[in-house]
Amino acid sequence: MSVKLASESTFRRIVDTIFSAATAEHTFISFGDGESSTLRFANNQVAQNVSVREPSVSVRVAFGKKVGSASTNRLDTASLTTMVRQAETIARLAPEDPEYLPPLPKQDYMRVPSFRDSTASVSPMELAKRTKPVIDQCARNNLVGAGILSNGVSARGVAASSGLFGYAQSTESEFSLTATAGDSSGWTFNGHRDIDALDIAARTKRAVDKALQSKEPRELPAGHYPVILEPAAVAGVFGPFFFAADAKSYYKGNSPFVGKVGSTVLDSRLTVRTDPTHPDLLGDSFDGSGLSVRPIVWIENGVLKQLYYDRFTAKEHGVEPTPRPSAPVMSFSGPTVGSIDELIAGTKRAVLITNFWYIRSVDPKDLTITGMTRDGTFLVEDGKIVAGVKNFRFHDSPMRCFQQVDAATAPMESITMERGKMMLPAVRLPDFHLSSVTKF
Amino acid sequence: MSERNSINRREFIHVAAGTAAGLYLGGCSMSRPFADLPAGAMGPAPKGDWPELAQLALSRVKAGGCSYGDIRLLETHNQSVRAEDRRISSVGERFDSGFGIRALYNGAWGFAASADFTPAEVERTAERAVEIARASHILMQSPVKLADEPVHRDRIKTAFKVDPFTVPLEERCNLLLNACEIVHKEKGIIRSNGSLWTQRDIKHFASTEGTVLDFDLLAVGGGFGATAKNEDDFQSREFSVPFIRSGYEHITAADFVSQAPRVAAQAVEKVNSKQPTPGKFDLVLDPAHLSLTIHESCGHPTELDRALGYEANYAGTSFMTPDQLGKLRYGSKHVNLVADNTRQGAMASTGYDDDGVAGQRWAIVEEGVFRGYSTNREVAGSIGENRSRGSCRADSWSSVPIVRIANIGLEPGSETRDSLIADVKDGIYIEGRGSFSIDQKRYNFQFGGDAFWEIKNGKRGAMLKNVIYNGITPEFWNSCDGVADRKHWQEHGFINCGKGQPGQSGWMTHAASDARFRQVNVINPKA
Repeated sequence: MSVKLASESTFRRIVDTIFSAATAEHTFISFGDGESSTLRFANNQVAQNVSVREPSVSVRVAFGKKVGSASTNRLDTASLTTMVRQAETIARLAPEDPEYLPPLPKQDYMRVPSFRDSTASVSPMELAKRTKPVIDQCARNNLVGAGILSNGVSARGVAASSGLFGYAQSTESEFSLTATAGDSSGWTFNGHRDIDALDIAARTKRAVDKALQSKEPRELPAGHYPVILEPAAVAGVFGPFFFAADAKSYYKGNSPFVGKVGSTVLDSRLTVRTDPTHPDLLGDSFDGSGLSVRPIVWIENGVLKQLYYDRFTAKEHGVEPTPRPSAPVMSFSGPTVGSIDELIAGTKRAVLITNFWYIRSVDPKDLTITGMTRDGTFLVEDGKIVAGVKNFRFHDSPMRCFQQVDAATAPMESITMERGKMMLPAVRLPDFHLSSVTKF
Repeated sequence: MSERNSINRREFIHVAAGTAAGLYLGGCSMSRPFADLPAGAMGPAPKGDWPELAQLALSRVKAGGCSYGDIRLLETHNQSVRAEDRRISSVGERFDSGFGIRALYNGAWGFAASADFTPAEVERTAERAVEIARASHILMQSPVKLADEPVHRDRIKTAFKVDPFTVPLEERCNLLLNACEIVHKEKGIIRSNGSLWTQRDIKHFASTEGTVLDFDLLAVGGGFGATAKNEDDFQSREFSVPFIRSGYEHITAADFVSQAPRVAAQAVEKVNSKQPTPGKFDLVLDPAHLSLTIHESCGHPTELDRALGYEANYAGTSFMTPDQLGKLRYGSKHVNLVADNTRQGAMASTGYDDDGVAGQRWAIVEEGVFRGYSTNREVAGSIGENRSRGSCRADSWSSVPIVRIANIGLEPGSETRDSLIADVKDGIYIEGRGSFSIDQKRYNFQFGGDAFWEIKNGKRGAMLKNVIYNGITPEFWNSCDGVADRKHWQEHGFINCGKGQPGQSGWMTHAASDARFRQVNVINPKA
């Protein structure tokens, strides 16, 4: 990247400027700086190529339980002082917030290896050079490629008048490809701290193969099917768990998990945890409030163990607050197979689903959701992919369809347009509700 | 629209400080006429040294050998107040400013953006835009050719009566707290929420072609909701004030307090209601509901960049391909969908877009036949049009402009809501927006709603819950056999339309009168 990020000492200077301007009882500061470049291609050529530098700082101040917030992306003393004044003006006028809690005390943060020089050193020209073989491979196979290759560096900081202080730098890169040919398509997506770990060549081949294999798709009737969900599809169906597992809704009564903490909610061989230091995930050492992250087991052997407790709800119930779920890993403790290909090989008949799209809540009471299959949906018979099939809409709930897992792989990298990076197995489920068919 | 549960850095900052803008989705039953200023009459002066910085950037872009370049300098001021369960859960104020520079080098685009308004950084950013365009050039197959547009020099200002930034915070907090308090008086209500949102954008646009535009744009929105619970279910009901380019008078007129008892009572009635037996029903859909149907099933598939494959990796493509123009029977003869970026108050009515193209009005669907697309200067020529439709927008200084849905609305017909209902034997009336999902080519959709009533023998009856209908876009619009008249016409603004990589939020307004659709498939999602 061409830019020098705000260093820890720069952040400390910003913090000192804000603290010396502040008159409130509590002051909490959140800071970010970064530059990211995204090369976007479509129709086998470049479509957009952008580079953005974005600093930002925000402050939340409180007089007693009267709270105000303000943010700016200008880091000079006058702008920072103005921001503090605005937040304090708001706080003086705002009604008391009965749920307000003072900033966290100083935290001990675990070390998360979030910065990779390999990613930081890549220029826009280098992004273009790494994209070229992807486009060439699509063109050689008479496919049309669309996708992105991006890299970014960023710095985050939190600080508070309580002594809380955290600063970290990180890198992130993403590669995605949708290869299409008239009536067929194949897709891949990866995101990683290390741009060299994106596995661009192998992933390109997989997307190209899917596009070639899914030509002249058959139409299957809507209904209940055994399915093989690739990790991205597991992310699509299981992802809503992390939105729904919050303790406040649980205690107020509008949660799908009312009465279910400590009960079996999934196949008893499934365990879901968050692992912030996992080398292939995008964990950070602290969350938005400055709370130190830690490994957490959410579901253990199918039993719901943990909800997300915001600080107020945690205090009300006498438990530790939980950092926002990030860096999730789902694992299967039964016998696993080595790859998606082996999962296919061991299947009599199933619909193989690469990815889901436009996933939305239908009934929050039991976590029923809907969405469409996208970019690689196949019929598997007698251990082989026999045809591409037209895409389905589904209606199901992770709390229903993961009651029984027939087979699974070890956790694999997964990131989608709608879900962040996770480690998830590919699974075969005996019953999944593919509720209608579309025209392609 | 889409979501990601890993928040990006920009979101992190706002979430951390509790200043996230209230992205409010929902229906509402009001809209207002606007007495706006003519464009250019009393527009704003550009900020300080912005014109000089703009010309400095453009001179660097030209010196880099580029055939076209433009710069947008932008200052955004956003305020939000949020309420939850009888408390104000956050009050936030956000200032965000910076500039974005586009450079077109031998037909290949580069874009760079920065928040540092010093001349040296403006030059660095302009040079980076050129460097990026040169990198793009090695992956270029066919050069970008921009459709011609006259050179414009103009100043645009949103008309308003009451500047929302001057309304005392106490008054805004009390508005939400009062609505929440009333909601909680209803037995069975367990949760409440509310939000008020406003944003002002001051923008200076300049291009190497000589166009210079200054903007002072304002928008407001808000609403509240209630969640009711009984022994075995919980359900919500919303009241939302559609996003609009106007002032605080729009919020005042919505009268939250007098709406609150109805909203709470309907939440309770809804949770205690039945769900329909699945099957074919005639549906009468209200304007708030239709605004989302139009957005998803007409707005997105008629974005020309999607139809050309630009969004194949993210937002998707379109079944409405250019070879279908003038041929595709999209809907029945009652279906007239018109794009209008000149209508005052609508979210995409900004005088000019981020290509510097003037706002226009044109047909998307005429008496059921597919007639037009939303376009920008880059893609207009690919369907033989010699001028862009002026639908190119970026969501901030740091985002590159892309094709965006225009203010597409369903033209009024000659019916009334009552006459539409009177001619239904066994049907459902749907108000507001609920669960929605559609495939990436925009054929297979499902929509819910915010509130549902059964229609029996021409009369609206008891409330229903969990109504979900599913269909295929052209079959659905071809089943439309009546649209209510202009008296029923309402406008509903959006600010959270997701598209692009990196992702951007689009703003536009969809207007409609109530309309009737015959024999639509109402499903049981848990069958």
